[in-house]
Amino acid sequence: MTRLTCEDTTLLLNRHLGNGYHSLTFGPYASADRCRPGQFLHVRLPTAAVFFRRAFSVASVQPHDAVEIIFKVFGRGTRVMAGLRKGDPVNLLGPLGVPFRFPTKSETTIIVAGGVGFPPLLFLAVELVRRGFDPNKIIFFYGGRTRQDVIERARIKRIGVSFQPVTEDGSLGHSGLVTQAVERFIVANGDRRMRLYACGPTGMLKAADELGRRHDIAGQLSIEAPMPCGIGVCLGCVVELKRGGYSRVCCDGPVYDIGEVKL
Amino acid sequence: MTPDLSITIAGVTFANPIMTASGCCGYGEELSGVFLLQKLGAIVTKSITLKPREGHPPPRTAETASGMLNAIGLANVGLERFIEEKIPFLSQQKTKVIVNVAGTTLAEYVEICSRLNDCERVDMIELNISCPNVDEGGMEFGSNPALTEQSVAAVKKVFSRPVIAKLSPNVTEIAAIARAAEQGGADALSLINSLVGITIDIETWQPTLTNNRGGLTGPAIKPIALAMVDAVHNASRLPIIGIGGIAGYDDVVEFLLCGATAVQVGTALFIEPAAPVRILRDLTAYMKRKKLTSIADLVGKVRKYP
Repeated sequence: MTRLTCEDTTLLLNRHLGNGYHSLTFGPYASADRCRPGQFLHVRLPTAAVFFRRAFSVASVQPHDAVEIIFKVFGRGTRVMAGLRKGDPVNLLGPLGVPFRFPTKSETTIIVAGGVGFPPLLFLAVELVRRGFDPNKIIFFYGGRTRQDVIERARIKRIGVSFQPVTEDGSLGHSGLVTQAVERFIVANGDRRMRLYACGPTGMLKAADELGRRHDIAGQLSIEAPMPCGIGVCLGCVVELKRGGYSRVCCDGPVYDIGEVKL
Repeated sequence: MTPDLSITIAGVTFANPIMTASGCCGYGEELSGVFLLQKLGAIVTKSITLKPREGHPPPRTAETASGMLNAIGLANVGLERFIEEKIPFLSQQKTKVIVNVAGTTLAEYVEICSRLNDCERVDMIELNISCPNVDEGGMEFGSNPALTEQSVAAVKKVFSRPVIAKLSPNVTEIAAIARAAEQGGADALSLINSLVGITIDIETWQPTLTNNRGGLTGPAIKPIALAMVDAVHNASRLPIIGIGGIAGYDDVVEFLLCGATAVQVGTALFIEPAAPVRILRDLTAYMKRKKLTSIADLVGKVRKYP
């Protein structure tokens, strides 16, 4: 049985990234070193107004002491989180879930991020480069409706990866849907061995899943689900698998192979 | 002096009155990564059915004011896999093991309990005659006094150790059901199961849960649970295991004062998996402060107004 830890920590930094996006950094956090790209934290907020914990993918870690999550304000939980101030107490359960499986160094890594699905992929790109993967072979597609939906652009560029923003209104980068831009890349680079990683809205995940299967590219999707417990006991967060049956996103996921989940 | 937290129900002694509630701790393994299960008075498993059940399509849960609504649909591995894969782990735990059993027919309840009778480490059975989330059986057994008596009596014939009847709050008079369970030979009563509820998405106008209705749990239901424990305590001589929104030692004390001998912690585990450990520590401190030497000093000791 894996060790699960609930740690009391505090908010160190609340950065407003624009367009309703916030970055929260928590620390000191002793489990920071154990966090892997694709894993998530189950955050307990210091208010009775929010009953359940809230699950967020790890966006970055600062070794030995801090961890960052990024989210967009949608509902009651995220509204409370956006209002947290430095020093506010939170409790973190985690890191939870199955992390991404890394590609091989000979493969070209295609990252497909859509809107709020970007944080775990940011962590993945940073970690791959840190582990000596060639940044030129990491193609970071990041789609949004407008340029305001594509956040932390300077940060992604600093990693050194090939950054490919995509907007539906053409206000930044490629014009159209992110998965259309990805498909053009795949077709134009048919001779390369590729691995695909996607996280974003369900429609985008579905398109990425189909892309992978159509072009025979292996890869993984990170999936979101409302999640009461996060540790596999409540069975509230299940998704249906193509081979039949349900799977718990919290502990069998949140990362699934392309072709595995009924989206 | 350290207070004695042990309790006895139907001849079975528990190290303390804190149990996990069915459906909130899986089959035990999941929680064992958080704290030592031996700290618990007992572990109560998820409902076991004769055949495996996949459960309802998602969404299965919704957050509510101070609680949650769920319609998992009794998803479980089924009796065979439970005996093969889950009993071995449970057998190694130094705590009492209570298996929650759900059936769709009387024959199913009997078949499951008669198989579990051969599993020595199953200290007790808790009969789920009160699940609000399945179409057939479940709550029907627990909302009809005659069926309650019949099902308890049938199970008592095949299971030689104590049987707990888990009562539904979705009835007109819970005391009548409690008396029927007692009549049928139940050794203890646990209450309450979840209350039927609905939540609706005002954008789509659809219920949040695919099952349309679900069971409400969490702190939101605690006052209702306390009133029902009080009613049953007045109507039956059987030991009571109180359930409903317990998240702290103070909640436990309230249930004990109302007449419960033990309690089950459920939804709180989803938010704080190690909640039972904190509750025990705080309960011990409370008993010391109040100079209480045993749990019996609290059971049914509520000082009611005349």
